[in-house]
Amino acid sequence: MARSHRRIMPVALAAAAALTLTACGGGGNFGGDDDTGGDGEAEEGPIVIGAVLDITGVGANLGVPEQNTLQMLADQLNAEGGINGREVELIIKDNQSTEDGAARATTELIQNDDVDLIIGASRTGPSLAMRPIVESEQIPNISIAANAAIVEGSDWVFKTAQNDVVVIQSIIDNMAEKGYKTVALARDATGFGEGIAEMITEVGAEQGIELIATESFEPSATDFTAQMTNIRNAEADANIIWGITPSAGLAQAAYVQLGIDAPVYQSHGVANDAFFEAAGDAADGVLAPMGRLLVADQLPDDDPQLPVIDQFVADYTEEFGTPPSSFAGHAYDAWKIAVIALEEAGTDADALRDAIENVSGFVGISGVFEMSPENHSGLDSSALIMAEAGDGRWNLAE
Amino acid sequence: MLVDFLQLTVAGLSQGSVYALLAVGLIATYTVRHVINIAQGDFAMLAGLGAVSMVAGGVPLLLAVIFAIIGVTVASVIMERLIISRVKNLTTLVSIILTLGVSTLIQACMLLAWGAEGRRLPTFPGSDINVAGISIRSQELWMLGALLVVGGGILLFYEKTKFGKALRAVAEQPVAARIVGISPVVASIVAFAIAGFAGGVSGVVAAPLYLATWSAGLLLGLKGFVAAVLGGLVSFRAAIIGALVLGVLEQYVAGYIDGGFKDAVAFLVLILVLIIRPQGLVLRQSAVRV
Repeated sequence: MARSHRRIMPVALAAAAALTLTACGGGGNFGGDDDTGGDGEAEEGPIVIGAVLDITGVGANLGVPEQNTLQMLADQLNAEGGINGREVELIIKDNQSTEDGAARATTELIQNDDVDLIIGASRTGPSLAMRPIVESEQIPNISIAANAAIVEGSDWVFKTAQNDVVVIQSIIDNMAEKGYKTVALARDATGFGEGIAEMITEVGAEQGIELIATESFEPSATDFTAQMTNIRNAEADANIIWGITPSAGLAQAAYVQLGIDAPVYQSHGVANDAFFEAAGDAADGVLAPMGRLLVADQLPDDDPQLPVIDQFVADYTEEFGTPPSSFAGHAYDAWKIAVIALEEAGTDADALRDAIENVSGFVGISGVFEMSPENHSGLDSSALIMAEAGDGRWNLAE
Repeated sequence: MLVDFLQLTVAGLSQGSVYALLAVGLIATYTVRHVINIAQGDFAMLAGLGAVSMVAGGVPLLLAVIFAIIGVTVASVIMERLIISRVKNLTTLVSIILTLGVSTLIQACMLLAWGAEGRRLPTFPGSDINVAGISIRSQELWMLGALLVVGGGILLFYEKTKFGKALRAVAEQPVAARIVGISPVVASIVAFAIAGFAGGVSGVVAAPLYLATWSAGLLLGLKGFVAAVLGGLVSFRAAIIGALVLGVLEQYVAGYIDGGFKDAVAFLVLILVLIIRPQGLVLRQSAVRV
């Protein structure tokens, strides 16, 4: 007996230590280009744009199409002669969907690669981790994540995904129209879900809708029985699942499998085909506010975004064999806004920042952007449509 | 209230059966070679992703699943032949470092081959059932059934058959085992084949519900390892029970406390077991000594 203890104890400890070490270390950097150093000259030589994306880890469904998009657009731009005759060098870093990975990648891009502008990150948490670094280094940053906290009160950070509060407004309005009075929420436990319960309570109060239960889940979770059992017990008129794929899709599957029949609203975090891979048939009937990209074939012919979307879908599909997701669209918008500002102001950081703030009337994939010193997000509720899931795709609701 | 409790228990048992299959594989290699196979969870993911690709390529689900399990079984044996068996004076610590390397290699290959996004295998045949308000997914029955058949089979093989008992003797008394004619080479190959097989089964039964991802194997392997430690790294029975308890505990924590704490349960259990009861849940040590 005693001999056995002595043998197992160190073995178990060593194995545990090894597992923990690798769990923290994660994989390698498989994304993007090699780290070729930037030129460092202020107004000549190549323009260096850095991107920090959630290419591996829980944000992979977002980061991979974003990486594809940026690479494709950079190649297109350079084939057309770059920006004002200057070549554009794109350096993509994988933050492995972690906050510290994003902070490290941002520091590397600024210190080693001397980037002129940084795009990313894909998710709110990593994006918030980048904010203090780009602010202290004074490098313009265009995030492609959702939470309004990313840009609030910041001089240097912008974003292209629709603000979460606008999305919630759209959900609450739809609920009020249908006469729902109570709502329960299952939210992403990371940055994307932060503050969502408070927003629903606040926005809901104006319409007489009360939030009666809140559950949270890790984006890496695979089983949602516990959260959905609690949601079932709340017996709300309607429920909101707020997360990204695949977790939000798996949560949706668990919701239906537990026999809950109240209607479900999801966020723009599920605006991709991966949602249907994760949720399967359980997706049918889910309502989610999102940009127009995924329902472009159902838009009226005179929609101003249509030509932009059609061109992007055609280019992306030809290059990668699958249609782009909304997240690819957020990356597209960030890239185009960066290019507009760089064409206008060159690579002087202050001038570039001011130029991004002045981008107005840019017709992008997610909406028509009106940036201003007060509004670094640039999109309002007109950038959203209500989509309904059916037959394995998103459709225009009603 | 009771319905919720039972609902959580069902979900926990099915998740626990995946941990149990991994734990069984870990114990198989530990009892014979004193090897802790860190790559066990990655083998499960490899089987899941392999099956997903085959189904996407038009192979019927059943065949894809069988091929994936066979493939991973072979991969596990190849790892034993090419790496583990080459090391003289193999200690457990060396085995951990070696298989950690294998784990990293498999993960990198999976990332390159299948990309970073999680993939779902079609659900196995069957329909979800509802018993008195407790909904049971058909795939959960497959998971429990897989544990019953595969885990139970391996357990019986090692504890009841002469060959199985002989295999375990190799670990305890390698010289004596050789004298009475048991080949340590065969014993080692069989152990790794069993580990690969159990890992492959756990991967394919879990993939329809939990998705298969290149990076998920490590955490899954850790959960299996915690269960194996509950079994004192030697007892299949205790490890299987430990795995089911772990799965159920995770559900209770997620349901009654907070979903965010779910993954911490395994770590807490590991720490508590190592401090309070390092021999695991094993009651008698006699099972080890054959």
